Amino acid sequence: MATQTESRKHRVEEFVVQSEPFYVPITDEVEIFEAAYRQKVPVLLKGPTGTGKTRFVEYMAWKLGQPLTVAKPEAKRAADAPNGSIPLVTVACHEDMTASDLVGRYLLDAQGTRWIDGPLTKAVKVGGICYLDEVVEARKDTTVIIHPLTDHRRILTIDKLGEVVEAADAFLLVVSYNPGYQNALKDLKHSTRQRFVALEFDFPDQEREARIIAHESGVDDESAAMLAKLGEKIRNLREHGLEEAASTRVLIYAGRLIEEGVAPRRACQVSVTWGITDDPQIQRSLDEVVSSIFP
Amino acid sequence: MTQDPERPAKPTRVGESDLEHLPPAVLEKFRRARGALKNRLAEETLDQWAAQGVAIARKTVRSWEAAAEYFDASPEVQRQLPSGQFLRWARTGASLCDDSPSLAVAYFRASPGAVLRLRPRYIDDWATIGRSLYRGTWKSSALSCRLFESAPQMLESISFEEFGQFGTFLEVLSRRSYDAAGECLAQSLELLPKLGGDTSSFIALARAQTETSWREVKALFDSASASLPNLTPQHRGPLLSLARRLVNTRGANPGNALSDGAAALNAIPADQRGQLLQLADSLAAAAPAAAPEFLRSAPSVLERVTFPQLQEWQAEGAALGRDNPDAATAFFRMESARSEEILDALSSGIELSRVSDILRMYCRALAAREIDIQASQQLVDKHIGWVEGDAPTTEGTTIYLPAVVNRYTSKDQNFLWFKVISTHQTGHIEFGSFDFDYERPSTMFSDIRPLLKAGRNRDPQQPLTEQRDTPRQLNPEPGEGGIETAFLTDMSRFFNRFSDNQLALDVFTVSEDTRLDARIMHEYRGIVKPYLLTQRNSIEQRPAIESLPARQALLEFMVRISLGQKDDLRAPREHADAARKVRRLVRMLRNSPLATVEDTAEVTIRIYALLEQIVNEDIPEDEFETIEHEDSQAEPQEGGLEDFDPESIAEQLAAGMQTDSENQNEQADGPEDDAGLQYQAPQEVDYRGEFKPELGQLLSQLKFDQMEGDGSGESMQPISAEQLQELMKSSAEMELEPSENGNENQQSDEMLQNLMKELARREPGNQNFSQGPISHVDEEGGPLQPTGRNSYVYDEWDFRANEYKPKWCLVHEKEMADGEPSFYQETLSNYASMVRRIRKQFELVVPEMYRKVKRLEDGEEHDLDALIEAVTDLRTGHTPDEKLFWRRNKTERSVAVAFLLDMSASTAEAIDEAKRGPDDWAAPDDPVEYMVWLRSRRAEGLRRSYKRIIDVEKEGIVLLVNALETLGDDYGIYGFSGYGRENVEFYVIKDIGERFSAMVPRRIDRIAPLHATRMGPAIRHTTAKLAAQEARSRFMFLISDGRPQDRGYSREGVEKEYAVHDTRMALVEARKEGVTPFCLTVDREGHDYLKTMMQDFSYEVLPDINLLPQRLPQLYRRLTT
Repeated sequence: MATQTESRKHRVEEFVVQSEPFYVPITDEVEIFEAAYRQKVPVLLKGPTGTGKTRFVEYMAWKLGQPLTVAKPEAKRAADAPNGSIPLVTVACHEDMTASDLVGRYLLDAQGTRWIDGPLTKAVKVGGICYLDEVVEARKDTTVIIHPLTDHRRILTIDKLGEVVEAADAFLLVVSYNPGYQNALKDLKHSTRQRFVALEFDFPDQEREARIIAHESGVDDESAAMLAKLGEKIRNLREHGLEEAASTRVLIYAGRLIEEGVAPRRACQVSVTWGITDDPQIQRSLDEVVSSIFP
Repeated sequence: MTQDPERPAKPTRVGESDLEHLPPAVLEKFRRARGALKNRLAEETLDQWAAQGVAIARKTVRSWEAAAEYFDASPEVQRQLPSGQFLRWARTGASLCDDSPSLAVAYFRASPGAVLRLRPRYIDDWATIGRSLYRGTWKSSALSCRLFESAPQMLESISFEEFGQFGTFLEVLSRRSYDAAGECLAQSLELLPKLGGDTSSFIALARAQTETSWREVKALFDSASASLPNLTPQHRGPLLSLARRLVNTRGANPGNALSDGAAALNAIPADQRGQLLQLADSLAAAAPAAAPEFLRSAPSVLERVTFPQLQEWQAEGAALGRDNPDAATAFFRMESARSEEILDALSSGIELSRVSDILRMYCRALAAREIDIQASQQLVDKHIGWVEGDAPTTEGTTIYLPAVVNRYTSKDQNFLWFKVISTHQTGHIEFGSFDFDYERPSTMFSDIRPLLKAGRNRDPQQPLTEQRDTPRQLNPEPGEGGIETAFLTDMSRFFNRFSDNQLALDVFTVSEDTRLDARIMHEYRGIVKPYLLTQRNSIEQRPAIESLPARQALLEFMVRISLGQKDDLRAPREHADAARKVRRLVRMLRNSPLATVEDTAEVTIRIYALLEQIVNEDIPEDEFETIEHEDSQAEPQEGGLEDFDPESIAEQLAAGMQTDSENQNEQADGPEDDAGLQYQAPQEVDYRGEFKPELGQLLSQLKFDQMEGDGSGESMQPISAEQLQELMKSSAEMELEPSENGNENQQSDEMLQNLMKELARREPGNQNFSQGPISHVDEEGGPLQPTGRNSYVYDEWDFRANEYKPKWCLVHEKEMADGEPSFYQETLSNYASMVRRIRKQFELVVPEMYRKVKRLEDGEEHDLDALIEAVTDLRTGHTPDEKLFWRRNKTERSVAVAFLLDMSASTAEAIDEAKRGPDDWAAPDDPVEYMVWLRSRRAEGLRRSYKRIIDVEKEGIVLLVNALETLGDDYGIYGFSGYGRENVEFYVIKDIGERFSAMVPRRIDRIAPLHATRMGPAIRHTTAKLAAQEARSRFMFLISDGRPQDRGYSREGVEKEYAVHDTRMALVEARKEGVTPFCLTVDREGHDYLKTMMQDFSYEVLPDINLLPQRLPQLYRRLTT
């Protein structure tokens, strides 16, 4: 993995994905997404944490020839995207996020006030992919905005301006959510869910996962294979005391630590075992699995 | 007795006439005695003797019997005594006769024997001892007589002094109970002679016991008879003196101390016994009651630790005992955590129970299946073919491991051993030992299996060629016609191909283990090191190859290669070539990590073919040679296999079978068959344990077929008893336990029954195992009507009929009665630190709950965002929004929850059974003891010394209530139980909507185990309550200790299923009403039915009930935030 030595600043419209994001398709999700994009059908990505949902969207943005823009709701300085290209706007949803964080609001300035578009509005206007990550976390009033955007109307109502924006053709709403949380309070309403086509994400098989780990962390193939095996073994314990299985992401972290010279068993302990459970008994069991796999 | 005043004998001659009025036997005896004595006694003495006899005879109506005995005994007695003593003896008897003729009878009758062993001067004392027992009653006289009669025998081995002590003891005891005295006397005859020098201390012990608690004396004798004779004198004395110390100790039982002590001593090596007694003795000085507990625990403790470590443990306990003797008792009874801790720290051994949870998860992770871990003995106890209680093994679904591992000197090493053996057993499951498919091609060989003919002709009438076999679920082999023999498993079909199934099984076992080891070391690189070490250690324990006859030597050679031995491999020179071939085949398995069980089978066939040709004869040691190193690089993968021509091997096996079935003794084409010794299976490789492929496949197939459902479309035929019997007869795996009476038929019948049961257990859907057709045992009757204001009717789901039974259950809602508030208070103070912690956790929830509500017209503070907006609106000319404030508001959280508590009778179960001896429950027979027992039970009712499941449930509720009050959620607590469908009791401890009041703790106190568990209606009723709530989120927490069950809540054959399905349906209904159910159970068996019952609902099985108070609030928090 190439490491950047210093941070670089981009204006939103100048930032494009430089190279193809690494993504290993599991089934036909790429084709489905392309079809959905062409047919303007919103997409819902379901799956446990660390299964590559965000990476998939990045990849699709690249694949569809889009430059990429990441905008946090707080940093809404995006100017219009450059001619022809359409940004991918990623919004990480959190529980205090309201509709106006998505749509936009007036700001005060020295002379008076200035309206600024929210990330969703921007994407609607310029026609890009707006990716709402962990959408269940957002406050319920956001659904009011999402609904008219995700059916045949494809409109965004901006109360404050008294405007209705029709979405550009290239606009697509993508949301993700993790149904694994054992939390009855946070679930998508059916009226919302049924406005999307859903792509299920799960962990890749051992061989693919090994490739991903090797690529992302830079470890040798053998270690990557062992990490992938560890991932699979730990996932066998879902429903047996583990609430969340080891994600590909933590395996990659372990790989990176190994690449840095940390002893493999220790690397797995700190990045995998301790990451996924606090129960000492289960930790011990996982440690035993780790020590069986790694010499 | 006072000495009779010396009476001068009557000078007058006593004649026979004086005796004439008596029964003629008396006279006859008199004549005979006088005849014998005439020449031995002076005339005067003789007269005195005769006169004494007549005097005795005349004393009372019945005293002639005494006289007769007197005459009878006299010649013998006289021989032993000088005249003076002789007459004195007679007078003593006469005076006994004054008391009771029966005493005199017994005295005279016992005299010939007794005087032989008594100094003459003791005769009077002897009589005195006997007489002292006599108190004029019939019982006392009987006892006294028996003591007289016992004297000759007893005096043979004990001194008169000891006899005296014994008499005194008996006298003391007889004041309490003649029966007890009589029994003790009877036992003493056996016991005392065996005690040697310790007799008097035992009698002293018995006497002391009598004085403190005479009821225990009989038990003391019982345990003494059982234990003391088996001890050497050097240990008996100290043990007796230990017991003596315990007599006056509260809570100690000397009798138990004797038997426990003796048992303990016999269970440990002789050279440690003396020391152990010293330890017990020194402990008794500090805490007497703890000493017997120490002795009792010692042998099991010594299995875990060495003797010096035991001493340390004892010292810890003794130190404890100086301050608090009761604590020491618990310490040595192994009931204190401290004791366990110390032992654990001292010992290097590891008990399975301590690591089974870790290993279970480990194995599940590896194999991706629901593997359970149990002690091997559990499998042996099922009596379905496994016999080794210490060997690791598996039947395809559960891994069985030894209960304790103490092979190495460090805990880490012992744990590694556990890990290695469980990894190997998991390998059987993970890498498909039991997935063997006869038809599936191997990966490395050209298959011989299709060429093999069915064999082991079970019916000699049937020509081999016409026999054909079909394993279950497989199509018959094409081509040949004839009888179909259905095999239960592919594995059975495979082994059927060999004439010597033991040899085939052994070869297969070694080959398969080789394959697994290779696979495991390939897949799990981290375990390679301990694995190789284990293999090396195993090699050291192998028997020398040279010591074995040829065929076994080659098999041993094979085992060693499979364990990785490279150098110094010896084989008979004559068979060096075969050895090289064996080596090549085994190495193929070792070097091909991706080999399958079918490859194992092919290797087995080839090696079997080689070994079959080798005569199992003794070979002199110098006929062995070392098989030289082969360059392993040059070893070809598939090369060299041209040695094995499939056709000819198939022919060879068939020929072997032919000869086998035709004539045991006739020679096959091999030039030198049958000259060898009986073939013996090789010594087991300990880390690989037992491997039973046929049984394993049989048992695991069923289990997993069941799991996968009927998707395959192939209908599975039920297994018949005949098929099983066939399997048992033909399989080399079915080992019978060595039995003394050689009753193997009965044993194998039992095993068959057990196996059928086991199979039925695994195949719940298969009704063919049940005793008869499914009978409907539901109560008769139809729908019910509510009977009062607080009763409600609910439907019940019948999963067989796939419909509801309308108005089937009647729920009676009652308010729980009031109890004491102390339980609530005590729980809170007992768990003070946890209460604080839970409160803190819940307080973390509170900020979320008191979330800022923005955009209010009035509130705590201005909302900056809203303010800015308002200003901008003003500037842009819009009307600003007036809602400029925010406030922390409680309305965000809107949760209503109902806790439904299982109050079934089973919750009365004590949490730690071990802490409660079974005898605590059994009422004693003795009325006096019964009263004592009853009193203590009643006292216990008030203040129970042990904890029941329900108590822990209650504690959990207390902690939760406490926490919920901080949170402000609306909650209700209900309990349910009942008996039968028309009587489901539903207790309200706190209704939803009811405010927490002082009554709630009081009601919690009254939660107690009642009857059965009909969950469905209780859930429905709770759902109805929750549905009436307006809260946004509604939850139902079901806390239970086991599966639902009630009278009529089941049907025969589908028993538990019915209740499980109804409960599930009730939960589904709840969900439809917008209630989220959650089930928390402490039933460790819970996973199996909960999987069905709670499918796609959340549930948790608590591994340890004691976690409940802690876990319940945690779960609640997680589920609702």
